[in-house]
Amino acid sequence: MLGLPEEFTPDFLARLEHLRIKTRREFEGLGRGSHLSPRRGSSLEFSDFRHYALGDDFRFIDWGLYGRTDKLYIKLFKEEEDLLTYIFLDASASMGLPEADRKFPMAVATALAFAYVALAQGDRVMIRVLAGDGKASTPGFVYGRHRIVELAQRLGAVRPAGQLDLATALARELVSVRRAGKVFVISDYLMMINSVTRGLGLFTAANMDVTVVQILGGSEIAGAGLTGDVELVDAESGERVMASIGNREREQYRQTLARLSREIRTFCLRHGLHYTLYTTDLNFHDFFLRATADFGLRH
Amino acid sequence: MGFLDPGALYYLFALIPALALAYLVRERPRRVVVSSVLAFRALRARRGQRFGGWPRPDWMFFVEMLIIGLAVLAIAGPYVTRKGNPIAVVLDDSAAMQAAAASGRTRFDAARDALKDALGREGPGEVSLYLTTPQPHRAGPPFASAADAADALEHLHPADAPSDQTALSVLLGGLASDTRLRRVIYAGARPLAAPVPPRIEAFAASDPLPNYAIGSFVLRRESLGQAALHARLTVANFSPAAQTLHLAITGDGKPVGHAQAHLESGQIGVIEFPNLAPAGVYRAELTPADGFALDNVAWATAGAVKSISILFVSPTPADAAGLDGLPGIAVRVASPTSFSPKDLAAADLAIFEYAVPKEMPPINTLLVMPPPGDPVFGFNIQPTASVEITGWPPTGPLTDSVNFRLLNLHGGEYLGQHPWLQAIVTGSGGALMLAGERSGHRLVALGFNPFPYLGRQNLPMSVLTLNSLSYLAGFGAETGGYHTGDPWIVPAGVDGIVPPDGRKIKVTPGMLFTDANFQGLYQLISSDGAKSTRAVNFANLRASDLENTPAMKIEATGSGAMAEVAPRRASVTHDFILAIVALVIFEALIAYRRRRPMVTV
Repeated sequence: MLGLPEEFTPDFLARLEHLRIKTRREFEGLGRGSHLSPRRGSSLEFSDFRHYALGDDFRFIDWGLYGRTDKLYIKLFKEEEDLLTYIFLDASASMGLPEADRKFPMAVATALAFAYVALAQGDRVMIRVLAGDGKASTPGFVYGRHRIVELAQRLGAVRPAGQLDLATALARELVSVRRAGKVFVISDYLMMINSVTRGLGLFTAANMDVTVVQILGGSEIAGAGLTGDVELVDAESGERVMASIGNREREQYRQTLARLSREIRTFCLRHGLHYTLYTTDLNFHDFFLRATADFGLRH
Repeated sequence: MGFLDPGALYYLFALIPALALAYLVRERPRRVVVSSVLAFRALRARRGQRFGGWPRPDWMFFVEMLIIGLAVLAIAGPYVTRKGNPIAVVLDDSAAMQAAAASGRTRFDAARDALKDALGREGPGEVSLYLTTPQPHRAGPPFASAADAADALEHLHPADAPSDQTALSVLLGGLASDTRLRRVIYAGARPLAAPVPPRIEAFAASDPLPNYAIGSFVLRRESLGQAALHARLTVANFSPAAQTLHLAITGDGKPVGHAQAHLESGQIGVIEFPNLAPAGVYRAELTPADGFALDNVAWATAGAVKSISILFVSPTPADAAGLDGLPGIAVRVASPTSFSPKDLAAADLAIFEYAVPKEMPPINTLLVMPPPGDPVFGFNIQPTASVEITGWPPTGPLTDSVNFRLLNLHGGEYLGQHPWLQAIVTGSGGALMLAGERSGHRLVALGFNPFPYLGRQNLPMSVLTLNSLSYLAGFGAETGGYHTGDPWIVPAGVDGIVPPDGRKIKVTPGMLFTDANFQGLYQLISSDGAKSTRAVNFANLRASDLENTPAMKIEATGSGAMAEVAPRRASVTHDFILAIVALVIFEALIAYRRRRPMVTV
């Protein structure tokens, strides 16, 4: 529909309309919006008092306080601004394998879903593609829900390719981030754990509110199709490993994969990051709508 | 080492590269591009990479190559060349070698020590070992050296059977005439008569020993239908002085008889035990003890002592009526169509009326008016409407007290001449009653029908019937039972035999059982689980006479000069096959059951 992924059914879009991004702290935006900002403004959310000064709008004088203290105080309110939402999508070669698992299409759908939630609430969204075939040219911040179509078309043209060092790539992207905000990092995280922790640690150090989404294939987790003597070639690095794979080896592989995911999850929990694992053999709608709290979304 | 068929080695050159190629093809792994090898890297057992699919250095490959290589070499017929004139060693392991002197050392021990001493003096060369019991035979393949043969002698024991002296002298004569042999060393219970062939070196363990022996132990029924048995034992005194011999009989372990006999030196006597109490197994023991204990004990079995079981096979079962009235007789009736040879296993004797079995019955049998044309017995039958008896022996177990003139026979058949059955009663047209023994069992054939048994209502026929049944109800032929070393035919229905040593031997009915080399009780086990016992005794008074051992004459041809012996090719194919089997078993047990390495690089 309009270049959107097939997962974006009208019903799904309608349900996304009811979601909004919840952050653990207040971020300054670029314009008015629906998120409380640390700036003082004209929202209904009380922020503080200050002494009345000449020229202040006497409609904000707290008359009750004046009656008790015989002094004039002005009530200050928080400003409501838009939220700057950054979505980083891993488009390295590993996201394209196994093809049957459709890891990258699901990652794109997830990114677009986050983007739609943000755009629907009037927030600004920036999607950055990490690695990939180089054909992706995503704009800076986009605003307005109608821009979701443009984002979908741009991401639809991306093909997973290349090698990704997450720490280096995120460090490079951090330079272009103008202001702190909500960050979604979508990847399979099939890389060394220190690269993951260093990359994500950059955003936590920059006071970003980070949500980590790990996407793995169903058959990838099961190690399906790998039996007997095989020469395994890494899609990104080209590294080769000879293996004789039987049931026991497959089980050990599954345990290793689970341990890698567990280490990422532990890191996220320790550093206040949201973490969600999506395996593509699950229904996308069920996964996304049930994991809203894990994503840092709320109704 | 050489090869009888070196052309087979071409297979080696052709096969091994083909196998290596097949192995390379098989071992080239499938290449799979995965999202990340991160999780697989943890599985890796060994670091390193293979270049271009080279075979993994799995030692199993080399084991399999070795197996195939050995197989090809075995096909090529490998052999080794052995030089030196062989030696033949003949050791008498007959029962007489069990005899012990006053010192307690047996003749067998003495003979074995003498052989070992003689072998110790021999140079290199193969040694063939021959044993004498029950028939002279070579004990396995030749030994590579005298030391190996001497070691093998340590594991030999004398049997309970006598040896065939004629066959032994023929063997020794043949060995003494064999110019390829450097020497023939004989050690046995019988000395060799002069002149001893030059190639034979003889050690005679034949010192005279006083001995008392049981010669035979025969049981028979006192009369038809009675439980009591009559035992008849032959005993001998082979000592230089007169001796009173005591003989005690136990039945199923309980004393049932005791007697003594005073015998002069060299005298053989008979001791009778009438009316022995019924028992399954009887054991006779002779005292005083001597150096040869084997012949001081004898065994006998009574079989079905308590009652005589008759299998009556007839198309007219009513004819069996009346036999049941006889004391101690149980009759079981079967029709010819339902009869099976296995039915005979539970019977003491069989009666076939108007019918014949399809094979020689393994028990005593009465044939009444057998049908013409049967291939088993081959009677020349001529049916007749009027039977007239013209001749019968006045005395005999079958015709005693029978008044043939009073027999009123209305119909029957003349049985004609028979090759191994003797005519007992004859008529004008030929034999009417035949009797004889075959395969240790008695057989009576009647050309007229004495059944049904009417008792006093037909006294002459009843007496003839009882005489026939009494004759047949005896315990087989009067052969004195079964002797050690003598083979016997496995009876019908028996599929297992347990000798006195307790091991079970699988047999098939009709085969010749040749493993009766030890004295004692042999259990015959039928396919239906029924067991019967058969006594096998040494019972050889000639071999028991240890005082007078005649010398054995050996006739050899040739001058005794030794021929030049060419180097002999000894095949080692069996060694290769053994190695192959061992490697295959090793591969199966160890290699296939091992935990395969998780990852090999």
